[in-house]
Amino acid sequence: MSEFDDVTPLKPSDERITYRGPLKRLLISPEIGALIGAVVVWAFFWGNGDKFGTAGSTANFLDVAAPLGIMAVAVSLLMIGGEFDLSAGVMTGASGVTIALMAKHFTDNGISLFVCIPAAFLLAGCVGWWNGFLVNKTGLPSFIVTLGSFFVIKGSNLVFSKRINSLVNVSGIEKAEGYKFFKAVLGGENKFGDTKYRDVIFLVGGILFGVLLVIGFVEQSLLRTEKTLMSAMLVAIIGAVAGVAGVIVLHRTDSVKGNVVAGVIGLSGSTLAIVSYSRARFQSREPFAGSVPETARPLIVLGLLGTAVASLAGQLFDRGEENVMLQWLPSWLRLAVALAAGALPLWFFVRQVMRGDVEFRAKAVALIIVRLPIICLVSLIGIVSLFQLTTVQAVRAVLITVAGTGAATCLYRARSIAGKHSTKHFINLGLLMSTCFVVVAFAVRADSSAPRFRGGIFATLLIGAALILATTLVEAKQQKRLLADSNADQFGKRIVLIGMFIGSIALGTRLLFSDGVFRMSVFWWLFFTAVGAFVLTKTKYGNWIFAVGGNKDAARATGVPADKVKTALFMATSLMGAFVGAMILMRLNSVQAQQGDGQEFEYIIAAVVGGNLMTGGYGSVIGASLGALIMAISKNGIPAAQWNQDGRFIFLGAVLLVAVLVNNFVRKKANEQR
Amino acid sequence: MSNTTPLLELQNIGKYFGNVKALENVSTTVKAGEVTCVLGDNGAGKSTFIKIISGLHKPSTGKYLFEGHEVSFDSPREARSLGIATVYQDLAMAPLMSVWRNFFLGSEPTKRFGPINLLDAKFARATAKEEMSKLGIDVRDIDQPVGTLSGGERQSVAIARAVYFGARVLILDEPTSALGVRQSDLVLGYVKAAAARDLGVILITHNPQHALPVGNRFLILNRGQSVGHFEKQDLTYERLIELMSGRVHAA
Repeated sequence: MSEFDDVTPLKPSDERITYRGPLKRLLISPEIGALIGAVVVWAFFWGNGDKFGTAGSTANFLDVAAPLGIMAVAVSLLMIGGEFDLSAGVMTGASGVTIALMAKHFTDNGISLFVCIPAAFLLAGCVGWWNGFLVNKTGLPSFIVTLGSFFVIKGSNLVFSKRINSLVNVSGIEKAEGYKFFKAVLGGENKFGDTKYRDVIFLVGGILFGVLLVIGFVEQSLLRTEKTLMSAMLVAIIGAVAGVAGVIVLHRTDSVKGNVVAGVIGLSGSTLAIVSYSRARFQSREPFAGSVPETARPLIVLGLLGTAVASLAGQLFDRGEENVMLQWLPSWLRLAVALAAGALPLWFFVRQVMRGDVEFRAKAVALIIVRLPIICLVSLIGIVSLFQLTTVQAVRAVLITVAGTGAATCLYRARSIAGKHSTKHFINLGLLMSTCFVVVAFAVRADSSAPRFRGGIFATLLIGAALILATTLVEAKQQKRLLADSNADQFGKRIVLIGMFIGSIALGTRLLFSDGVFRMSVFWWLFFTAVGAFVLTKTKYGNWIFAVGGNKDAARATGVPADKVKTALFMATSLMGAFVGAMILMRLNSVQAQQGDGQEFEYIIAAVVGGNLMTGGYGSVIGASLGALIMAISKNGIPAAQWNQDGRFIFLGAVLLVAVLVNNFVRKKANEQR
Repeated sequence: MSNTTPLLELQNIGKYFGNVKALENVSTTVKAGEVTCVLGDNGAGKSTFIKIISGLHKPSTGKYLFEGHEVSFDSPREARSLGIATVYQDLAMAPLMSVWRNFFLGSEPTKRFGPINLLDAKFARATAKEEMSKLGIDVRDIDQPVGTLSGGERQSVAIARAVYFGARVLILDEPTSALGVRQSDLVLGYVKAAAARDLGVILITHNPQHALPVGNRFLILNRGQSVGHFEKQDLTYERLIELMSGRVHAA
């Protein structure tokens, strides 16, 4: 019996005190998928056509993203709270219609917007309250309750605008009192000219961003020494100066010769800087010897093959050509290629079935039925793309992206397998990997018809090569920190935070001061994202939102006013709908009664792409905003790449699926390894 | 052990639902720093008894004394405000939220920042970690979701939370029923540790092997009736089994 008398705490063993490095912490955050997705999608379209990525097109997609993003913020909060609002979309229309109708027809002369807009908000508040009240009282799924609201509001929009204005389109609010004020606040546009400081700010900010990010990450992951090694620090500073100089020259010049020299200086300088910095401040570890295991070898071959394909693609296809590809192929050959693209997955599948044992064959019929739609979809995409969508640029971009990413992944896997067996081969493979990056960089640069693409990808690949080389050397030579060290962590986090702040200023300057248009809607989008993220993560109300979505009974049992939280979330969503409705009305000066109809699913998609769990209790506001950004980029990027406009739906569907799968996978992996 | 007034005293408690006698003539005491075990097979009336103590039901007959004063609760909240905390089997926790967020759920610490009340995450993290280590619980990572913890660890978070928020009487409803041997041992260790911090603990269980090592006092129920109330020294394992199965009545 005495075994329980002395309660000893569980002894900390190695397995229990694992420290999560900055990278892993980043990977388990819900918005990571959306962040990577936004960058990838942007880079994809940027590399895919000259029309995308100009100041004008940036302003365009931000204009699409803003209302979507504002709504996604509210919808994601509601989703984290465990509910949906299908009436969110038509609420934007209802608000616009209410304001416009009142402003024109309330009395014979209409009424001031200072009355109309609060009235629309009041109406929205009531709708939101009603949604929340009904869901709380009846316990019915919010899907059904808000579907009812959706139809009622949709009908009302049409009925009232036809009845009062005899049209489904209400316009002419310009004469209403207060129009100027609200136009400026909600629908305003500001033009920024080009300034001579733009490039300087962007460059300095970008470099600072990179440097601070690297320092912050290194500080958070390595084990500090007692004393800083001054000689290594000096080398690091020299390296950093060389690296920065290289980047500046690279940024400034576009001549072939300058590129090569500056690229090499920038690459070696920054690698030297990172490695020396780690040597100066952190403990080194013993190297160990061994050989590359068998399993890594095919990966190395594949990696090299991918590199070759990517560099050939860079050389062979002329990026300036925007024509549809494969015109020079006879039509029967095109058909054959398309059929092959469709038949390939089917053939693989059949082969798999034939190889399998008896039991597997029995299951095969069920499997085929389940997978048939997927196979058909793949074939369909293959056929359609071969006939209509594929331009030379697209093929080039796809080839470089796919082959390059594939090669990098293979070599990375090989490197990490080798890393367990031998320090020397770990370093060798890291070298090989960055060499491949450099090869692809130069292959891309060799084509001279597209300066922007050439310069951008060249610089990005070189920076990537430098980072890989540096991390390889640092990981091989330096001791990783296994314990949490709150001082170092805080220092590292602050540095990263400052870096990100500077980086966003630099990016903002670059985007704004390029003869671009800055709309008030974008300001409101950023504002509401910040407020939403703040409330969710930094206040107790955020805790309550997570709790009512994660386990409503638990929340109630611990004293959280669960019903009030849900009602507040419904009201916030409707009010946000009213806000967006007013914003769109002020921007267009008129409103369609069907406006926002069907948009509620786009809000939900944005939230899900942003890493929010559909079952509630987990998610991120910033992720939802990024999800909206991804959708807006694809909406604008597809026409800019001269693809069939309707293809955006295919793209959207694919983005949604991939985002959810990636989020799921990453979260699982990250949680497994705790 | 302690001679002061018992924290809780229940005298001849009975509960009728219509003409169903759920509980009749049950008495026990709970002292600070001691563990009172309520044992019984399924349907013995354990749950009804717990619901009376935690304020969910009012007793039909009998006296409920808290620190020597007779009390009558209209809601569990009133009981909670006196420091009678219940940790239910299905644990009031959100599985996807981190340990510290769950720990302070519903009573979040805040600090003022200008006009805004901020969640004091730093304090919450540190306090949750410290409070749990006081009970001998070492959580790997205070930021990890509660859903990734084992059943025993989850119980421990709930216990530590109740202790931190000023519980004086801790009611644990079948804390070991869904756990394996090792996990049960851990949880019983936490129960003991909670009692060592001068709390009165009521442990409900149908497992005599779990009750016997940690309990100071044993109330055995069968079919709504008390079949025995023993101090630790007066009871053996065999006797306990006999009483619980309802084959023998207390002398």
